[in-house]
Amino acid sequence: MKFRKYFGLRLVTWALTILIGVTFIFFIPRMFPTDPVENMIGQIQSRSGQMDPQEMAALRKSLRVQFGLEGSLWEQYLAYLWRGLLHFDFGPSLVSFPTPAGEIIATYLPYTLFLSLISTLLAWIIGNAIGLLAGFRKNKRSSKILEGIAICIYPVPYFLVALILQIVFAYLLGWFPLQSNINAMGGTAAYLRSLFRASFLPALSQLLVGTGWWIISMKSLSAATAEEDFVQYARFRGLAERRIGASYVMRNSILTQITALAMSLGGAFNGAIMTEIIFSYPGVGALIQKAILQSDYNMILGCITISIVAISTATLIADLIYPFIDPRIRYS
Amino acid sequence: MRKLLSLLLAVTMLVSLMGAAFAEEMTEVGTPRRETLIMETQIPTDTPGQFNPYMQGTSMGFGNHQLLRAMMWEMDTVKGEQFGEIADGFPESNADFTEHIVKIRQGIKWSDGVDLTAKDVVFTMNMIKDTPGIGASAYYNVVFKSIEQVDDYTVKIVTNEPFPRLALRFGVTIWGNDLRVVPEHIYSKVEDVTTFKDSEPVVAGPYTVKSYDPLGNWVLYERREDWQYSSVGVVTGKMPQAKYVLVKALGDDSTRQMMMTSNQVDIMVEVTPEVLETMKAQNPNIAAWYSDFPYATSDDPCSKGISFMMAKAPYNNRDFRWAISFALNFDETTMDIFDGVGRASPIPILTATSAMQELYLKPLKEYMASLEIDLGDGTTAKAYDMDYAKRIGDKLRAEGRDIPTDEAALEDMFGIACYAYNPEAAEKLLIKAGLEKKDGKWYFEGEPFKINMSYLANTEAQAGRGLISAYNQLKQFGLDCNLVSESSATWDSNAALGNYEIGGYWPTGGITKDLYSVINGYDADLIVPVGERGSGQACRWNNARATEIIHELAKISPDDPKSYELGMEFMKIAIDDIPFIGFHSGVKFVPTNSTYWTNYPSAENPYNGPWWWWSCFKYILTEITPAAK
Repeated sequence: MKFRKYFGLRLVTWALTILIGVTFIFFIPRMFPTDPVENMIGQIQSRSGQMDPQEMAALRKSLRVQFGLEGSLWEQYLAYLWRGLLHFDFGPSLVSFPTPAGEIIATYLPYTLFLSLISTLLAWIIGNAIGLLAGFRKNKRSSKILEGIAICIYPVPYFLVALILQIVFAYLLGWFPLQSNINAMGGTAAYLRSLFRASFLPALSQLLVGTGWWIISMKSLSAATAEEDFVQYARFRGLAERRIGASYVMRNSILTQITALAMSLGGAFNGAIMTEIIFSYPGVGALIQKAILQSDYNMILGCITISIVAISTATLIADLIYPFIDPRIRYS
Repeated sequence: MRKLLSLLLAVTMLVSLMGAAFAEEMTEVGTPRRETLIMETQIPTDTPGQFNPYMQGTSMGFGNHQLLRAMMWEMDTVKGEQFGEIADGFPESNADFTEHIVKIRQGIKWSDGVDLTAKDVVFTMNMIKDTPGIGASAYYNVVFKSIEQVDDYTVKIVTNEPFPRLALRFGVTIWGNDLRVVPEHIYSKVEDVTTFKDSEPVVAGPYTVKSYDPLGNWVLYERREDWQYSSVGVVTGKMPQAKYVLVKALGDDSTRQMMMTSNQVDIMVEVTPEVLETMKAQNPNIAAWYSDFPYATSDDPCSKGISFMMAKAPYNNRDFRWAISFALNFDETTMDIFDGVGRASPIPILTATSAMQELYLKPLKEYMASLEIDLGDGTTAKAYDMDYAKRIGDKLRAEGRDIPTDEAALEDMFGIACYAYNPEAAEKLLIKAGLEKKDGKWYFEGEPFKINMSYLANTEAQAGRGLISAYNQLKQFGLDCNLVSESSATWDSNAALGNYEIGGYWPTGGITKDLYSVINGYDADLIVPVGERGSGQACRWNNARATEIIHELAKISPDDPKSYELGMEFMKIAIDDIPFIGFHSGVKFVPTNSTYWTNYPSAENPYNGPWWWWSCFKYILTEITPAAK
């Protein structure tokens, strides 16, 4: 009964979070001092020079109808809730009209997820393992060195790391391509080979910086936990240090990290804009950036809606699995 | 045993080395590097595999219109003259320009071997007219009454109103044109042309699509085996030298530079002079229009400068606009933009390309030299500084640059004149325009006066740097200014609505002798209030005589001598009323890499401009040749 009540409440919170989020993201782009129709006319004009005034008027009218920007804001909002939120149909991309925004997102999302999920999970595992050691055995020299490395890496912006990796390993040494060129038409083996080569440096740049953060946060948590009475008691009882570290310190420190991991995994749907731009990696991050610059309302809505749903859902799942990780927590 | 192993190892190494020496270098898409010209396109496409020019979202600049398409009339960018590509010559029109006979060039075949005939032209134009989902459809209905086939190689076009500029409007004048003839035998079978992707296009241009990246980063084109029957083959008889053309997006600036310096790309679209110099220092095979300073071509037909929103006071006042001009020191502006590189383009609306300089600017030189502006206190000031080319030449020579001394060469490099710098005149004109100066600050209609200035962020370095320079100079002069950079979406919307005061817009152009297409947007009848979207006239310049000239020009043939006379009169009005302050013509640093390919168009060999992104690129490809191994 308690679980049902807890689950119901969390579900309502989850739904409300999504509704509020997508409502903001629906209205905010429409408050921009921009207009996708004018943007497209501007693009056509900048390419082909002067446009005949009669032609411009006719084109403007035609584009407004085709882009579905004729109805009132309220009508557009309700239509979006029905199509976009409930059916994940975000309508056509306004820049690549009439190609559906969902189709374009579906092309790039798997690459973003592949890159971000792998680098996030690896960074989480490696970072927490090192952070635990550094915090639990904080007086050891190796712990201090590891912490020092993490402190040095963490503040470096990830795009700078990406740039350095690109210059050293792709430009100077030539071990990897300067650009991510994924061979999607040459068979499975060629595809996987090119995917690995294309993803290695972008993933490494995210992994390095991500690991630094997990080390620092886990180190603080585990160092604090290691000072707790129950850890001291375990030591007095003569338990092995390895057991104390794994069963007492790690299990009590990891909770916060799981929540943060859930948020990070949800955030993976956003992509990593700068990494994607530097390596020309096909991902959602660059797609969002381009959509904002070009006022592609439907593409913005599509990308951000997926992100909002993903983060909210990841947080919901983390909340639901807490009691399995920490028996002290109950559904109440 | 050890000896045998050593021998085997040595033989293996030798064989490997020989193999490497004789192995052909391949591109990432599996084509021989020496047969592949790699060119940059600016952004990846979100619609890979979509080549139908009439489906929205198709990236035409991704090699589509440069390599696949034939136009009705193409452009000789050096002469500034059109020539028939699919059309055999120019339209023959009746006396009132409502009926036009267009002959179709014989001998062109589609890439599947079918003849290109009048049927294809008539089908394409009627398809546009009858398909509301195609952007140009409404305009075609305004212009065309009927498009009919007379015989296999003749088309009869009837327009609703007199239309003396059929070739200029429906052929290429600058970048390309929206009329791209498609094969009737394929498109007539398509249910909805606006959703037909055409992933394996049948084309009239010299290349076909070999493969493409499903993620949108590149497209590989292959020369047609029957290239002789392509439009380029029939028009020139010359074969495009590159068997393959790989068009790809290169990513951010640092990646672009690294790819160019490591010979992974042959031609790029545009860089800044700083980037060009860095790349040249790393790779001697990299060059631009000039092999040395000033590097850039000044023949891009969009001059950059500052544009006024003339529906607002005091920007609607000619005296105010001349005051701004006098407050700006062009010597400083040109150094701020590209260290002195660039041909001054000192008249509004028209760009000082080589052709326009000969056709309009040089004939106007005397008028410009004698033009004096009434300062309102009984004195006048010379509007133009006619010594600019010599002065900037001397300055750059003193800095160690290799600058010619010949007057004609200096005028070609730096222009015939620039706007005069005269801060004293500027002050007098501001007062004449109704501004007041109190305690060193300017007031208009009793309120402190502030100019809002905007420019497009992250692109068009020439325009952005020019506006920033103007901002600094106007501040130094004593005017209070606010500077804003805008994303392209905000920028375009603000232009359409007139939401700016001084902007780094470039409402300029022109490459053909006939100026109608350049000036018809300045028709005062098109002006709408600020906040409403107009068609043309973003800057809302209201000049009665200029409008009359546009209306007169609309009715006469571009070949009529009166067309040129009216164009000249229009330019004098524009010069006098100064709706735009031109800085330079479009200055483009367009890098080439001669490691694998040579004979790119250049100042030494100007057979064309470096316009890889224009539809005329297919003609440049007949001249670009493989470099010696």
